[in-house]
Amino acid sequence: MKQLLLSMLFVLIGGIVLAQNRTVTGRITDDDSGEGLPGVSVAIKGTTSGTVTDIDGSFSISVSDDQTLVITYVGFTTQEIPVQSRSVIDVSMAPDISELSEVVIVGYGQTTIRDATGAVAAVSSKDFNGGVISSPEQLIQGKTAGVQITSTSGAPGAGVQLRIRGTNSVRSNNNPLFVVDGVPLAGDETTAATSNVGFGTNGSSNPLNFLDPNDIESVSILKDASSAAIYGSRAANGVVFITTKKGKGSGSLEFSSSTSISRAANKYDLLGVSEGPYFLSAVGQFGGEPAAQDFGYDNDWQDVVTRTAVSHKQNLSYSKAAEALSYRASFGYENQKGIIENSGMERITGRFNANKSFLNDDLNIALQSTLSRVNLESAPIGGSAGFRGDLLGSAYSANPTWPRDPNFDTGGQLSPANMLANFRSNANTNRVLVNLTADYTIAEGLGAKLTLGLDKSKGETIALSTPEARNFDRGTQGNGRGGFNEINVDNNLVEFSLNYTKELGPGKLDMVAGYSYQSFSRDGLNAEGWGFSNYTSGDFEGMENDLVGAIETLDGLAANAANGFYQQFGAGGDLRNGAETSGGFVNVLTSENIATNFFAAPGLNVSSITGDRFDFKDKLQSGFARANYSISEKYLFTGTVRVDGSSRFGENERTGVFPSGAFAWIASEEGFMPDFFNTLKFRTGYGKVGNQDGLGFGNFVRRERYGAISIGDGGEINIPGTSSVALANNDLKWEETTQFSLGVDFAVFDDRLSGSVDYYRKETTDLILKLNAAQPAPNPFIFRNFDATVENQGWEVALNFDAIRSDNVNFSISGNVSRNKNEIQDFGGQIPAGTIRGQGLSQAFSQILAEGQPLFSYFVREFAGFDAEGQPIRDNQTFVGKSALPVWNSGFSLNLNVGDWDLSAYFAGQFGHYIYNNTKNAFFTAGAIANGRNVTTDVLTSGESGTAEAAVSERFLESGDFVRLQNVAIGYNVPVSSGGVFNRLRVYANAQNLFLITDYSGLDPEVSSSPAQGDLLNELPTAGIDYTSYVRPRTFTIGLNATF
Amino acid sequence: MVLIKFNRIYNFLNNTSMTSQLKYFKRFDVLALALVFVTSSCSLDIDESDSLITPESSGSFTGVEDPEAQVNEIFNAIRGNLEAQDNYFAMQEVSTDELLVPTRGTDWGDNGIWRTLHAHTWTPSHAYVLNVWNQFNQEIFRASEVIDSRSNGSATDVAQARFARAYSMFIIMDNYGQVPFREPDAAADVNPSVLTRTEAYNMIIADLTSALPDLPASGPGVGADRPTKASANFLLAKAYLNAHVYNGSGAASAADMQEVVDAVDAIEDDGFALQAGYFDLFTDAIDTETIWFVTASTGNNIWNGLHYNQTSSDNEGGGWNGFTTLSEFYDLFEGDPSTNNVGDGQEERRGWVPDGSNADATNLGIGFGFLVGQQWGSTGYDDDGVPTGFEALNDRPGNPLVFTKELPGLVGNNERNGIRVIKYHPVNGAFAGHKIIFRYSDAHLMRAEAMLRMGGSATAEVNELRAIRGANALGGVAESDLLDERGRELYIEYWRRNDLVRFGQFTKNWSFKDGGSVGDVNRNLYPIPSNALLSNPNLVQNEGY
Repeated sequence: MKQLLLSMLFVLIGGIVLAQNRTVTGRITDDDSGEGLPGVSVAIKGTTSGTVTDIDGSFSISVSDDQTLVITYVGFTTQEIPVQSRSVIDVSMAPDISELSEVVIVGYGQTTIRDATGAVAAVSSKDFNGGVISSPEQLIQGKTAGVQITSTSGAPGAGVQLRIRGTNSVRSNNNPLFVVDGVPLAGDETTAATSNVGFGTNGSSNPLNFLDPNDIESVSILKDASSAAIYGSRAANGVVFITTKKGKGSGSLEFSSSTSISRAANKYDLLGVSEGPYFLSAVGQFGGEPAAQDFGYDNDWQDVVTRTAVSHKQNLSYSKAAEALSYRASFGYENQKGIIENSGMERITGRFNANKSFLNDDLNIALQSTLSRVNLESAPIGGSAGFRGDLLGSAYSANPTWPRDPNFDTGGQLSPANMLANFRSNANTNRVLVNLTADYTIAEGLGAKLTLGLDKSKGETIALSTPEARNFDRGTQGNGRGGFNEINVDNNLVEFSLNYTKELGPGKLDMVAGYSYQSFSRDGLNAEGWGFSNYTSGDFEGMENDLVGAIETLDGLAANAANGFYQQFGAGGDLRNGAETSGGFVNVLTSENIATNFFAAPGLNVSSITGDRFDFKDKLQSGFARANYSISEKYLFTGTVRVDGSSRFGENERTGVFPSGAFAWIASEEGFMPDFFNTLKFRTGYGKVGNQDGLGFGNFVRRERYGAISIGDGGEINIPGTSSVALANNDLKWEETTQFSLGVDFAVFDDRLSGSVDYYRKETTDLILKLNAAQPAPNPFIFRNFDATVENQGWEVALNFDAIRSDNVNFSISGNVSRNKNEIQDFGGQIPAGTIRGQGLSQAFSQILAEGQPLFSYFVREFAGFDAEGQPIRDNQTFVGKSALPVWNSGFSLNLNVGDWDLSAYFAGQFGHYIYNNTKNAFFTAGAIANGRNVTTDVLTSGESGTAEAAVSERFLESGDFVRLQNVAIGYNVPVSSGGVFNRLRVYANAQNLFLITDYSGLDPEVSSSPAQGDLLNELPTAGIDYTSYVRPRTFTIGLNATF
Repeated sequence: MVLIKFNRIYNFLNNTSMTSQLKYFKRFDVLALALVFVTSSCSLDIDESDSLITPESSGSFTGVEDPEAQVNEIFNAIRGNLEAQDNYFAMQEVSTDELLVPTRGTDWGDNGIWRTLHAHTWTPSHAYVLNVWNQFNQEIFRASEVIDSRSNGSATDVAQARFARAYSMFIIMDNYGQVPFREPDAAADVNPSVLTRTEAYNMIIADLTSALPDLPASGPGVGADRPTKASANFLLAKAYLNAHVYNGSGAASAADMQEVVDAVDAIEDDGFALQAGYFDLFTDAIDTETIWFVTASTGNNIWNGLHYNQTSSDNEGGGWNGFTTLSEFYDLFEGDPSTNNVGDGQEERRGWVPDGSNADATNLGIGFGFLVGQQWGSTGYDDDGVPTGFEALNDRPGNPLVFTKELPGLVGNNERNGIRVIKYHPVNGAFAGHKIIFRYSDAHLMRAEAMLRMGGSATAEVNELRAIRGANALGGVAESDLLDERGRELYIEYWRRNDLVRFGQFTKNWSFKDGGSVGDVNRNLYPIPSNALLSNPNLVQNEGY
């Protein structure tokens, strides 16, 4: 074999040497814009000779008359041009409109859908969703089969769940790996956690919201293991590439601006005061005393806490491609107001991308940089709010006759007016993402690339509940409580790769191999304060200053008393453990010194203060390689391997090997295939990928640390001592997902109907679970790889049909549908999950992780109605054969172009899943109205008694099937004169969430209440639980894009 | 590695001209050097930035870094375990005739977790059964780490750790009948061995005996939030008193009972004594009865039963309207069976409920002990937290707040059903940080019981206590009288289940107990939690579960 290859090589090389040469020059231009296209491959057919165009599209090549130039450029139709006697060959290239020629980033390289061997997808900016977009995932929601994108709530900047081909992992983050311009991002949040100042916690915001959607050129998705394995241990959930816009054209200024109006899309039908059914008579109906509940006012509290929100965003960019320097600079500002009072997101971004070539274009240096600041304001809404609920819960249950006076005494209940007046939470995050690459052509076909990536951010969250807050949890009333959380993230990437392209034998070999090292540092401070005696009504700024000032003062004193680094500090009038009272203490934790030191605390404006520092660093070191070999552009082979070493594992399992292989056959290239098929391609692949996200820092070694610190409801501070936080376990290892996939891509009728059909089967094993430790142990839980399997099996169909294709009118229909079946196998235990919250619902849960069931399977009481006394007829809690995971996921788009007008509509739908209506369970029961809390009108006629228990029941489990008209947009390209101010001017209008078809009785079935990890039952994530979710808005946007 | 491979491939594919090859290699070497430079600095070892890392591989133990700090954390954890109204407290009290948590409409359903305790229908998946198992076993392990000689703990640290281990192991042994044990050396994948009840009992006695000399001999006073000789003697007395339950003999041995008497005598010698003024004991003032307290808030015990409209200035949100007692327990006390206002003939320990004549700032309108009938409360509080006035309270729907003796059942209750029980009073604050765990009157009654079980009489000792509490003397004290007296003196102080089991009464019938569980002796032990069985195959489920 080696002999054969060698001899073939010599033949090829001989061919080069024998060529009779003269020089031909030319310029390759974009048919659309007339601008030169840089980087176009100009090759001599049947040889390995070739060149690429320079920055303005020019090339020069040695050829002989009888040869033919093959001009290829991804995204454009390939052209073959016989040289003949010409000395100048100018070529105008037309974009390839076939879906299959779409460029897709595959990691350490790019290809087209047509040439890819794996299940990959790409969405370019022209197909992005419009309107108010908080984060890049929303741009491609519903555009791709097998990719389920769910916003966890309607809050600006809220987290987004992205699932590619089902849910693999039990406790890990199931989001894919995001790679921005070649830099893989850490999956962790960059916004500091929010302290619980009375309403529990929320899983925090979306780590990708630092990117302005206007700066994004395209999003590519690797769906199967054969393509994703090049990212090895982080690829189990797929890979999503975000490519930002680069400098192009001869210099153009672009301005875009839009304004949006949002309102709550839905509200509950609550009992009224002046309109029936009447609240007061309902109180009487359930045994209460209406007169005692009548406070004389008439408020629909839902209207009090929501608002019509006006948002706007602006983006200004300048882009130019030139020999000297190609660059694009942009500045964006966006102010998104939430439809709930006191919530919103403000984003300021600056981007600068540049690239320049040196050494006769052999060296290309590129810089991509983002600088951003995101300010998030959050309303008092918590995914783990206690039994009284949060702002929305109180708006639903508040007595409508209460006044809007924040100081009104509700007698134990939360008042929406009081909450709005006495809570503020602001988070801000500054982030820099810079990536510098040097691309060097060492020899023909051989290139080297060095990438340096830096991702640095600093996030700060301050949450305040004032002393005038009423009935907040955690001893807030009369005292006030504030949280200050800081997180600094510093991730660095060094990556070196070589790529090699060679005609080899009958085919073409394309290889890349490299080394990568990435470090992830996270450190910060979690501090809180209690007892704000200086607070004057409404002065949040003063309260914040008191809190931050006290923390800074104590931080300094603690460092002094510790003589250097320390872990914790605290000060207050009631230090427990027999320590000196009225003092400050510092817990020092270094290998030289472990001690609790005391110091005299100065007079502060906050009675009790605690702070706890953390400092984690994880490292990942990898080698990777991929080889593509294509024969006659018909048979495509791909093999990849990645070897990852991670600091999260002990010596025994520190390194993971993740191989994959794939094969594709482009049958349409075969002579025997009828011309009917423009494209017909079969693909199959198999690969192994990993996941280590579910495992935190340092869970494989025995570590000691001071215990958790907090301020009690009465301001008391228990001084922690030390204890082990983990046991040594050198056998901890990666979660592993293997995936087999099979697919067909096709295009027929002159490329007018194209699509793909895919089948896949994934098995995730060695599940990282936080299991009950075999007691006695230092912890109740221990991380262990569990010998169970999560299986995801399904298929996907995507179709695109260009129904009308003419000079003036184009109409296309595209849609996708996917089905996924999820099941956990070989699992011995049963782990409860899915906490249900609300009055009388402590310890209640709705899901169990168990063998033979899908993840997020409901385990609830069957419900057979109410008996004659109005008590529920109930049974034991049991599996009811329903899961929160959608079985069917689909998207459907219509695009119409008529002259300068364009119109698009996009529908999304999910089916086969169930939503637990925790809001109804907690608030809309007969027991609630019997206690004087407002309810929805249907409660009056349900037959339920006021003394009935509302346990977790099938009664609150509802189908989550829905179809949503997610987006409708109409745009008009204003005709511009060639000498005018504008090169291009487009105005558009857009409507989001225009209607929703569903049987779900809550406000919106697309929900997922998501408390922070520590508030999750057994730390298992939840899905499908609707507990006072942030109402989803209906949004109308008008905007313009202008190019000068 | 990667580099070498690439050199070869490169070499193999580019053997055209020697000169160009050399040229390329020069370029290549620069990059190679850069790569070597980059990689040499990369280690995958974990940094000691956040916590102290024990440098050994799994399976060997070189001691804890700071034994004193770890002892602090152990007692922090024990305090946390004892602070809550659920878990350990609920398993000892809600499972008995002293307390129940009725479901009131939608309130306090809590997935049935309270009802199954009271009805004796709990299962191995009951959350409290799991939590208590985890909580106290965890402290056993942490204490073992400190006790291990490789930790080089001071004599005081080790003695405190031994007490902590004995106390935690006592709870596991008493509740579950078997105790898993892990050596500090054992790696995470080692399945802990399992001590029988007798082995665990012996280990508890040994720990306490060896801790005694190194514990301080403090009498009543400050500092009793850490174990003293008296605390160790108290726990020894508890162990000996119950020995016949643990070793299965069924009958108390005179030797064990003598140990009880000796241990209580030793406590008395340290200066502890009965003290008059029953409800003054449950404050943070120094008294002669408190042997061991934890600096836990008492708010849970105050507010878990009080109604939402019963408030104090440090809790204007009011109570949580949960826990009540059974009328049959209330009826154990002398006094008017239907009301408990001043002058109803009750003994001191039953407490009293204010009415319009005596609701004032010293009681906030909230009673002491057993709250039955119409309740009073403050109309509000001024800026200094002083009550603005007092009124007869209503419940939330507007009905007069009259606590009833009887309940319709475990479910279907309104806000007013059931007698409430409080020992710590809101007027003393919920955050006083003084929750009594070992009390001398318990020791006093233990000695009386030991004397009775040795064939002597307990009457004098019991009547000594009753006299101080303002109760009529008893003519004679049989076993059942002693159990009742312990109920009257020690209600909601964590011991009711232990007492009922020792007197063979835990299986008897009481209101709302499930008929199927009456007489089921297997209920004397809690099941091994199902999750624990999964995690350690050495454990065998207790009979009947």
